[in-house]
Amino acid sequence: MHPDISSLVDTRNGTLDARIFVDEEIYSLELKNVFARSWLFLAHDSQLVKPGDYITTFMGEDPVIVARQKDGSVAAFMNQCRHRGMRLCRADAGKAKTFSCTYHGWTYDLGGRLVNVPMEDDAYRNGIDKAEWGAIKVTQVATYKGFIFGNWDPTAPPLTEYLGDFTWYFDAFVDRCEGGLEVIGGVHKWVLAANWKFAAEQFCSDMYHVPVSHASAALALTPDDTDADEEVFPLDGTLGRQFTSPWGHGTGFFTSSGDVLALIVGREPGDWFQGGNPEVVDRLGSQRALNMRGTHATLFPNLSFLPGINTMRVWHPKGPNEMEVWAWTVVDSSAPPEVRERQRVGTLRTFGSAGMLEQDDGENWSEIQQVLRGHVARQTPLNAQMGLGLDWDDDPNFPGRVNRVYCETAARGFYGRWAQMLSGASWDELAVTPPLEAVTPR
Amino acid sequence: MTSQLHDHVGVSDPFLAEIVLQHEIEKFVYLEALMLDDRRFEEWLDLFSDDVHYWMPTRSVRYEREAHKEHSAPDEVAHFDENKRGLEERVTRLRSGMAWAEDPPSRTRHLFTNVMVEAGDEPDSYQVRTNFLLYRGRLQREVDIFVGVREDLLRRSPEAEHGWLVARRKVTLDQTVLLAKNLSVFF
Repeated sequence: MHPDISSLVDTRNGTLDARIFVDEEIYSLELKNVFARSWLFLAHDSQLVKPGDYITTFMGEDPVIVARQKDGSVAAFMNQCRHRGMRLCRADAGKAKTFSCTYHGWTYDLGGRLVNVPMEDDAYRNGIDKAEWGAIKVTQVATYKGFIFGNWDPTAPPLTEYLGDFTWYFDAFVDRCEGGLEVIGGVHKWVLAANWKFAAEQFCSDMYHVPVSHASAALALTPDDTDADEEVFPLDGTLGRQFTSPWGHGTGFFTSSGDVLALIVGREPGDWFQGGNPEVVDRLGSQRALNMRGTHATLFPNLSFLPGINTMRVWHPKGPNEMEVWAWTVVDSSAPPEVRERQRVGTLRTFGSAGMLEQDDGENWSEIQQVLRGHVARQTPLNAQMGLGLDWDDDPNFPGRVNRVYCETAARGFYGRWAQMLSGASWDELAVTPPLEAVTPR
Repeated sequence: MTSQLHDHVGVSDPFLAEIVLQHEIEKFVYLEALMLDDRRFEEWLDLFSDDVHYWMPTRSVRYEREAHKEHSAPDEVAHFDENKRGLEERVTRLRSGMAWAEDPPSRTRHLFTNVMVEAGDEPDSYQVRTNFLLYRGRLQREVDIFVGVREDLLRRSPEAEHGWLVARRKVTLDQTVLLAKNLSVFF
């Protein structure tokens, strides 16, 4: 018997029931009601350049193949043969004309249609309707500015509606130049013994951890003559904003800070991001082009990114106690070669499997998970009250519901939306029921 | 390689000279392992040339016909892609008292085998290929085992304290999805 869902996340008082991170039954429900209904990141256009290019990935724990079609469109379907359920493709990526099951040889085309059954006339002399036995197609597939998403739920709203008021902030990352972003080849994949929500929430809502969790990296990367706090990383919450979307997305950033980006990823990509790319101001306006720095963000539920640092990752759930991180490095498609090269190196040195900042995040999350093995620990509510009741929605520069940058309003929005979805609320209900109470007028 | 060996090792019998060279290089490999396992990172940094390139590409699962795409290319993402300064910064981080992923420190044991020595592509240098097993114990009961191959370019450097400098290192891990929460240790 799982606990009452509505009591798991208390957005009014800012508390979280720790069982949301460990309970097997909640996890099963999460796969069903959150992952199988949300728009999930599948791939980026630049990973599937030519017809036949494919990658394999996961939607929740369901394996899928994402393939570029001959007509240039993208198809996504279960990486599973309809005969005995064998995985159709066991490579991470590649180029194919068809996907042939290695068990009995049922063969599917790039769109997942069953096109050949070995010895069909003899073995299936009783008849088989191949049109009926194609791979299970991802119900909805849509692309936003190069980002390909999939959704299993036919009743889910279109991707653009789901992005909602987060679109303005998402564009600051993905729409900086005509060609958008490009994924640099290669991907970091690693396992963390922690629930995926710790990571998704942190990228959604947590600037607060940076000065402590990443103190060592700040020290190592900051030149001796620089005061890390003052010049690089302000400890003043009024110098930034955090945003929460009713759809569960969230982001936070400084509006005024020195060279935080240049220190982390290097001078060339830092300068390129902050004013160096000539197209950005025209496309986005100066607020987004110049005054969003050191940004963290999560697109609900499990796509996270750091604009400027340009790491982007999916937190794949692997049971309540484990996630698999897939992290890519992206770069403006118009970036000159030296910016691209410095970005490639600067990002992998700080984020990813061996990243000097990223390492310390994994240590935190996996240790929380260990502590939550305890009975008493699981009964102990966690505090997500920072900045509670102090949001505003009439900021002159930043649209939507915001607060100071050191705040947990986006965490409350993230977990609040998660709990609403977990409870099985329909999309009609979700569309008109924000996860947080209305903003108190200032 | 033989005449070069004769000059440096001072043994005229080419067979013996090769044994002496192999011995010298193995001692250097083991010395580095000891420094890492004893966390003598500042001394360890001195084993690298100022122009060192320390590189660990990523790996992906590919079918045989696309096996050439298994390892990430030099202009793609890597686990490590460091110069000397980058290695120094990592050591600075480890010594900060706030590098939580390594504080409390990991317990490491670097095991090296299959040491294969060939002439390098620079004068007085050797290409040294070693298989490794890196055991890491962390905190109370965490264990990671990293296995792979290390390909080094070693320069004979009489001015260096231990007679050799590592000028290039390429590390290949035999995992695609790392079954570890990070790579906070050196290879």
